[in-house]
Amino acid sequence: MTQTLTPPRPASTAVPVTLTINGQKVIGHTGQTVYQAATDAGIFVPVLCHHPALPSHGACRICVVEIEKQRTLQPSCTFPVAEGLVVQTESPRVVEARKFVLEMLFSERQHYCMYCTASGNEHGSDCELQRLGYRYGLDCWKYAPNYTRRWPVDATRTHFMMDHARCILCRRCVRACHELVSNHTLGLQQRGTRTMICADDSVPFGESTCVSCGTCLQICPTGALYDRRSAYLGHECDTQRTRTTCMQCAVGCGIETLTRDGSLIRIEGLWDAPNHGVLCEQGRFSVLDEIPAQRIKQPLIRANGQMRQVSWDEALRAAADGLSKARTVAGLVTPRVTNESLIAFSRLFRDIFKSSQVGLLSGRTPPLGIGAAATLEGIAKSDGIIVIAGDPLKNQKVLGYMVRKALDHGARLIVASGEETGLDHLADLCIRLDVDGSAQTKTIWDSHKRIFHLRSDRLAQVKKEIDSLRSPVVLYGAGLDQELYAALRSLPAKTSFLPLVEGANAVGAARLGFSLRAVQGDALYVLAGDEQPDGRTLPEAQFTIVQASYRNAWTDAADIVLPAKAWFEKTGHLTNIEGRRLPLTRSIEAPREIVSDWATVFMLSVKLGQPLACVTVSDATAAL
Amino acid sequence: MDKKVTLASDWLAGCAGCHMSLLDIDERILALLEKVQLLSTPITDLKRPPETGVDVGVLEGAVNNSATEEVAKLMRSRCKCLVALGDCAVFGGVPAMREGANPQAALQRAYCETESTVAGQIPADAELATLRPTQALSEVVEVDVNVPGCPPSADVIFYVLSELVAGRKPVLKGPLLDWH
Repeated sequence: MTQTLTPPRPASTAVPVTLTINGQKVIGHTGQTVYQAATDAGIFVPVLCHHPALPSHGACRICVVEIEKQRTLQPSCTFPVAEGLVVQTESPRVVEARKFVLEMLFSERQHYCMYCTASGNEHGSDCELQRLGYRYGLDCWKYAPNYTRRWPVDATRTHFMMDHARCILCRRCVRACHELVSNHTLGLQQRGTRTMICADDSVPFGESTCVSCGTCLQICPTGALYDRRSAYLGHECDTQRTRTTCMQCAVGCGIETLTRDGSLIRIEGLWDAPNHGVLCEQGRFSVLDEIPAQRIKQPLIRANGQMRQVSWDEALRAAADGLSKARTVAGLVTPRVTNESLIAFSRLFRDIFKSSQVGLLSGRTPPLGIGAAATLEGIAKSDGIIVIAGDPLKNQKVLGYMVRKALDHGARLIVASGEETGLDHLADLCIRLDVDGSAQTKTIWDSHKRIFHLRSDRLAQVKKEIDSLRSPVVLYGAGLDQELYAALRSLPAKTSFLPLVEGANAVGAARLGFSLRAVQGDALYVLAGDEQPDGRTLPEAQFTIVQASYRNAWTDAADIVLPAKAWFEKTGHLTNIEGRRLPLTRSIEAPREIVSDWATVFMLSVKLGQPLACVTVSDATAAL
Repeated sequence: MDKKVTLASDWLAGCAGCHMSLLDIDERILALLEKVQLLSTPITDLKRPPETGVDVGVLEGAVNNSATEEVAKLMRSRCKCLVALGDCAVFGGVPAMREGANPQAALQRAYCETESTVAGQIPADAELATLRPTQALSEVVEVDVNVPGCPPSADVIFYVLSELVAGRKPVLKGPLLDWH
């Protein structure tokens, strides 16, 4: 774990407390543990079962310290600070105890470091257990392990594996699964030396209720849980880390990408972002599995049925030529682009083409600004959640996990939807909405044309539930009828809302007036970015320009293809489901000929003879 | 001229990688040989340590059968300071990974049941070593110095030998302690 966490802010009722650690005066505050006070003061205390993102556990005893007037050594991760405490963190008695803890841990199972991906030297090791072994000078095992005992390896999950021989039963994974993600899959089976981490009623992990969010993988201190993709590709010290925002859905979780030599190795969740280190299978794993093979690296022009690689100059001149000749220019943009690019695209159509035929490529967005905006953290603490026409566990997964977290704390759940959702079985009240229209479609704007209705007696029931709650949160999707949206708007002021939008920057796009709608024009300019067709066809036009990252059915049918950056190459901002502006920082430099989407739009405007004014951050703030 | 430190080495259930790593001290061996007399090693003419004994004995590999056990006990009885070289000697290492499997079933499969074997039989000659549970060296004889690594780097091995030559017990920590 090389992320550093900002220490939690003291409660407003906290009182400063002075203690002495290793002869040094340290000022902590009530509510802290000795471990927290020491760590804040820059004093190292080893931990294994403890992790700052989890509540204290006190299981492994490696963090023991000597505290004057205490009869025995105390675990600093649970011992509360008090005025006048005198603490020694590396006295001979403490060091001897820690060595004993390590000797016991190593003798319990089979720690064959020589073939573990996490193993390295004192600087390179990714294993917190091994690093402590080095720190305390363990050059052999005092108590030999039982070589004949076989520990299983569970490789049934798709993305990561578990080798029980390396597990030290710190229970970080179990606690993360319960407290951080609220998925409640992991647990323990048997007792004593037979204790084992297990899933559900002891089934293979791949057949359990595990959702492969990977939070346990990230928090595991040893090589027990290891990622298939990044195994043996280098230690963390060999990688570069970039803080950025996930673009797989509108939640916009804080992520850190690990890259090495220009390749994406692994994705981790940021402990100090509102998602608290939690990601979903899509954002952590699938996104790396799904990178298409054929990259558009150079502009292309169709001539005689063939696509020909050309220079930017030639491509843009041909594009400008084709666009100028059209009577109406239509535009489609993916929600997977930055605010900066959205503004540029919007101004191109508003000021230069003077065309209103602009829409989104995907993502049916409900009306925004229905009421006070809820936050991810607020949801986890709410006492009642109402989900209408949406399935967060499917389309905004980390938001779904936060809903489950609220339920763990006793919140009520009301679900109203047209079809089954992942939250139905947890709901106190489950209502079926009446639906007009079918879900099947082929063209861009036909998708999701359905309208949902809620019977007035059921609506009254929901309103009654909300009246009894202190801080209700309404998560609402698109396609509700007007009466229902009006009813939501008239809910009491204590209610907060989150629109269940689909698409990384769907909110940014909606604020600029983009929506999913039929567009028509002689010429069509599609800013597709790294969004894939998935069987959908574009509207017909005489002249089509597609700006895309990867070769696909859309680029194969276009007249002009312009390269575009993929999500991991973007720097800019997006606006997430909470309405917050989040930064994107590129993890990898795009190949030389690939420029930002807003830069392409700008260059096009120059070729059209009406250069757009440069988009600045303050522009973006003002517009969004 | 000061009396040279006498040294003997051998390998047990190992891959010889630790001895290769020892050779990786390259030209430093010349300086070492001014203070050290190599008496027997698996890669020089003499194979067994002399009855009169040596100052330093170096063993690579784990103890996994009656032969390696005999070699380990012999070296222990003929040296003043015994060094366990490499993860196999120190921790059991890769040879220890065979434990937990059924040895009789493995022998039966290897010598009798493999598809290309005709009329096979498990060798049982009196001169052959017999299997015993694999163990780290320190579980069979008393070890004075442990040098983890797979293999320990040439720098670590050179440090250990230099310290012993200087009459000190080497302490491995920091960059010298690397289990691999």
